[in-house]
Amino acid sequence: MSLKIVHEHFFLSIFLHPPTANLLLKNKVWYTDLRMIHLKSVSKQYTADSIGLADVDLTIDAGEFVSIVGQSGTGKTTLIKLLIAEEKPTSGTIEIGGWDISRIRQADIPLLRRQIGVIFQDFKLLSKKTVQENVAFALQVAGEPYKRIRDIVPRVVEIVGLKHKMDRYPHQLSGGEQQRVVIARSLVHRPKIIVADEPTGNLDSINTQEIMEILKKINEFGTTIVLVTHNRDIVNQLRKRVVVLQDGKIISDEKHGKYHLSATAQ
Amino acid sequence: MTIFVLVLMLLSVNTLLFIRLVTNEATTSIREQIDVSIYLSPEATADEIDEVYTYIASLPQVTHATFLSQDEVLQNFKNLYKDNENILASLEELAENPLGATIVVKTKDPADYVTVIDDLSVPEYETIVESKTFTDTQGAIQKIDVITKNVEHFSFALTAFFAIIAFLIIFNTIRVAIYTQRIEISIKKLVGATNWFVQGPYIVESILFSILSVGIAVLLVYGATGILDPYLGVILGDPKFLTNYYFSHILSLAGIQFGIVFFLTLISSMIAMRRYLKT
Repeated sequence: MSLKIVHEHFFLSIFLHPPTANLLLKNKVWYTDLRMIHLKSVSKQYTADSIGLADVDLTIDAGEFVSIVGQSGTGKTTLIKLLIAEEKPTSGTIEIGGWDISRIRQADIPLLRRQIGVIFQDFKLLSKKTVQENVAFALQVAGEPYKRIRDIVPRVVEIVGLKHKMDRYPHQLSGGEQQRVVIARSLVHRPKIIVADEPTGNLDSINTQEIMEILKKINEFGTTIVLVTHNRDIVNQLRKRVVVLQDGKIISDEKHGKYHLSATAQ
Repeated sequence: MTIFVLVLMLLSVNTLLFIRLVTNEATTSIREQIDVSIYLSPEATADEIDEVYTYIASLPQVTHATFLSQDEVLQNFKNLYKDNENILASLEELAENPLGATIVVKTKDPADYVTVIDDLSVPEYETIVESKTFTDTQGAIQKIDVITKNVEHFSFALTAFFAIIAFLIIFNTIRVAIYTQRIEISIKKLVGATNWFVQGPYIVESILFSILSVGIAVLLVYGATGILDPYLGVILGDPKFLTNYYFSHILSLAGIQFGIVFFLTLISSMIAMRRYLKT
């Protein structure tokens, strides 16, 4: 058993109740396949003259931190929507952890989303729920027992540094704190992938740095991160893989890239 | 507002039910009171009377034939006019009983009385049967039937009208509620909630609407039965006719109404929510 798999055992045993953990551990595709995200000739056409993605081939390995950049309307959000099955591709195949989700059944979408943490610019927190209720909600929808939820939630909230604000409502938190709640919510399932669509778009530079530090830490623990951003400084600081989209196509893909919007770095 | 409309709909359903009940009871009561009296001649012999009685009793339309002897008829007559001294004095003056025996006949249907009378209007019975009285209650019954049907049609139209309005209002109320919660629904879906999980609170809401509206309607209808019973008791002879009926059928009535309201509210919310569950 590799160190990585031992790590998975540890996290699964902490966060999930034993039957679910065993089920996921048996599902080898999540742990042995290096290819975490694989898009093959994926196109998404909304209308005749509105193209989201055009014949995109993209492979993201387990544990990678990939920044997706590009001007507005180049297909970044379409890519995110395809990954969480909010949209289905017009053609091509999308595999997540070895699971072909191109034609995913409606009933299986919740299962997929419980394995992918999603972070948005506008937070998408439930306004009538407190910090801990928002985090707990992600476990409630998966049918986790109350006792286990009560056990896990404070620990995850502590990881993002909000244990002292567990009973606050979203409107009582700063933008950075709200985004940290979203990260806690996305972490609670111990997802293999975190998809972040402009997570720092509404934050000041200090909060931006804090959020990026948390994401880097999560990535260090082995979670694959797909970050869509317009923030040049973040991408340049990360010095990780950078994929540039333009008109729905990948025009640049660099292992240790910098922020640029044309085919070559300036 | 939703509960108010639901209560109105249920009240109209209950009104329809009670109208049917009361008119049926009234018609049955009137039908039961109708009979035909066949007055036999005082000179008719016992054999002749027996023959007529046997013949009438054997007719397929006849459900019941009661024979009243001359003495019984006289006694009934005296009882009927016990407060009229002139009539009683006149009877005393007569040496013999002037009244013949009578056969009181009840048939399956009021329309059969005409057939029975026709069957007796034959030459061999002309000397035995003195007269046949049959008041034209058939016309009255037909009138009641017509009124009942018209009232039923009106009540049915009223119920359908309320049901349509209730459905539209409920649908619209729930649609607005779901529209205001569309972001919340999308967040729930985003974190992996199944459609059942998202729909759960709305199903609970439908159950609450159903319980509340049926509960209010039951209370109002119970109050109404108490108010109406004294008036209906005069006609139907039972001073607690509606209350007794309502109590003896309360479970089935409330159950059916709960089912209708729950189905209506549930369908409304499912339709209103459908588009938000697709993402």
